[in-house]
Amino acid sequence: MMISPYYYQLLVIASINVIMALSLNLVTGCAGQLSLGHAAFMGIGAYTAGILTSVYGLSFAVALIAGGAMAALFGLLVGLPTLRLKGDYLAIATLGFGEIIRVSILNMKVTGGPFGLRGISKQTNLTIAAIAAVLVYWTMTRLMNSRFGRALTAIREDEVAAVAMGIDVTRHKVLAFVISAAWAGIAGGLFAHWFRYLHPSSFAFSASVEILSMVVLGGMGSLEGPVIGAAVLTYAPELLRGVSDFVSQHRMMFYGALLVVMMLVRPQGLVGTGLNGLRVSKFRRSRGLEQSGIDMVRRRFASAMKRAQRKGSPSPCVVNEQLADLAVRSGAGSSGTGVAGGGGEEHAGS
Amino acid sequence: MKFMNYLFDSNKNHSDSKGKRFRIRSMRTVSIAVLLAAAMFLVGCSGSRSEGPSGEADGVDKVIKIGMVGPLTGDYATYGQSVRNGVQTAIDEINADGGVNGYTLQLIAEDSRGESTEAANAIQKLIDQDRVTAIVGAVLSGETATVAPIAQDSGVLMVTPSSTAPGLTDIGDYIFRNVITDDVQAQQMAEYAVSELGFNKLAVIYANNDYGVALKDNFTAKAQELGASIVGTESYLDGDEDFRAQLTKIGDEIEALYIAGYYTEAAKIAQQARRQGIEAIFLGADGFYSEKLVELGGDAVEGAAFTAGFYSGDEVEAVQAFVSSYKQKYSQEPDMFAANAYDTMKIVAQALAKAGNDRAALKDEMAAIKDFPGVTGTTSFDAKGEAVKDVLILKIENGTFVRAS
Repeated sequence: MMISPYYYQLLVIASINVIMALSLNLVTGCAGQLSLGHAAFMGIGAYTAGILTSVYGLSFAVALIAGGAMAALFGLLVGLPTLRLKGDYLAIATLGFGEIIRVSILNMKVTGGPFGLRGISKQTNLTIAAIAAVLVYWTMTRLMNSRFGRALTAIREDEVAAVAMGIDVTRHKVLAFVISAAWAGIAGGLFAHWFRYLHPSSFAFSASVEILSMVVLGGMGSLEGPVIGAAVLTYAPELLRGVSDFVSQHRMMFYGALLVVMMLVRPQGLVGTGLNGLRVSKFRRSRGLEQSGIDMVRRRFASAMKRAQRKGSPSPCVVNEQLADLAVRSGAGSSGTGVAGGGGEEHAGS
Repeated sequence: MKFMNYLFDSNKNHSDSKGKRFRIRSMRTVSIAVLLAAAMFLVGCSGSRSEGPSGEADGVDKVIKIGMVGPLTGDYATYGQSVRNGVQTAIDEINADGGVNGYTLQLIAEDSRGESTEAANAIQKLIDQDRVTAIVGAVLSGETATVAPIAQDSGVLMVTPSSTAPGLTDIGDYIFRNVITDDVQAQQMAEYAVSELGFNKLAVIYANNDYGVALKDNFTAKAQELGASIVGTESYLDGDEDFRAQLTKIGDEIEALYIAGYYTEAAKIAQQARRQGIEAIFLGADGFYSEKLVELGGDAVEGAAFTAGFYSGDEVEAVQAFVSSYKQKYSQEPDMFAANAYDTMKIVAQALAKAGNDRAALKDEMAAIKDFPGVTGTTSFDAKGEAVKDVLILKIENGTFVRAS
């Protein structure tokens, strides 16, 4: 039994979107740095790979990797100066970067300018796209559970505390940004060799926002979240086509309403369980013990610190364990322990 | 190596409970992903099974499905809606006359939001789920470049009524275009200016985008070929307000000024030129065709001539019938998009009547269309699938558009 080409194509696009969402999640979900120009990295990868195969006749595999490398290079160039800044600067810088890339592509000869890049061969198929998506997912699970991933979590939760723990914040942020850009570039290469035609408008700001909504809808910072978010947001607009005439004419309205309702009902995302996989229980909230996941994380961080200082034994809670682990490895044995521990107690008291 | 170990060191430092929990979580994800894939797969199969036979013309319904892809929502929605309304008007007329060989035509219009990815999904849906026989679309050039290879691979006739980018019909023999392209109308205007009006000293001012550049290049080449001299060529950017520097350079020694751009800037250029004492006639392309040109330009644009593919004030009976039935349905004047879409649907219907259910024959009949009389003049197709159409030349007289030739 053959799958219909329509659903085959949706699965390919979903796989590409899964890669995009997972890679953005590393920067935005794990490290807490808001990037609004993720589609630009996809565009760089797509055009690089597309030009390499169609103009220079290179093989698909080489072009894919070159696309990822080129995107990573641009990630480094953008990341180095901007990620040193705190707050919303990265969001604004990446927003500008996305526009620069789009307008540059529009005005370059080799990219076909406003006429777009035509004549790319069809080399992407579902097998390749799915393997790439699974590979990225697997890498992501390893990254998030590594010391590097825990350092990113620490940066997201409190940069000052992270610095106090001895984490090189800028280096970690830039590294996450570069890895994320490389994956987006590879997704772009897959995109180019599926659609066979590239136009700068495919990589505009709206595309970046769409990827961000996949991450937020699915659940920021979780592993499954971006996957589910990408699958749902790829399929939902298509599903709405078939319902009825009224719905299909106003499908973008329903699509928007779906997003709004989702954010009201489940602000943590479809499968997200809140920050660090913790749930704030109703009981605790009603007692005013903690208002949000962050409060709780801070309180638990403090108690984990204390426990780690006492004996370093693992606790039943994953996050406690993670944080204890973090405390032991980054802080214990150095003079930073006392400072961070003190900070933790302060948070616990508030 | 040390660096990679740092990135991927989760194994060494975790207790068993942690690893187990991780496995459980990823198991959950995998099962969700598999479920999703299975759901899509099942819907796909049932969809094509139930829709398949009735979509074919030999079903009980005796329906031929026609697809349309274009931006029905978003920034470019007016273009897509005009095309859809034009096609629907044609289909209603054809069905009222008994359909095609006893089959009723049914339009399935899919929204692309003006995005290439959406357009690709929409056309796949039309081809696989709805099993359309032919497609009118896509509307924007970028969309058409994305979806044309899909239609070509699936062997489904696709005719765009509005994408003017060069080379689109080279994608394959199932791809046609029924709209006058930028190069054709620029050449026609050069011919009109030099051969008919007898002008010898011309100048060009163009918008620096794909539309303006294509018009400028072709107008200049054709005018020079016919023996006229282009004494000045200046450019501007969309949204510019002040054109005095360019106009001073061009000077007042010219007989006609070709403005390769849209009406907003054209109206301002015309006014500023008159103020600088330039008495030349203004010439333009279909970017002029808007009531706004007269509103903004006033007396300055009086006498201006431009090329267009459709003229809603034409006294030809077919045009007036189309304009009035379109107005009745959608309570607005049909534009060039609607008129081209209307003609395109009529042409496809004529090819369908000859070809029957054979899709390969349909494409051949389409290529064989000669001198089809429509609301946008007579249409034939060349070997590549490009329409060879009359280009109308309109003129502004007493603040209204009239035909000049």
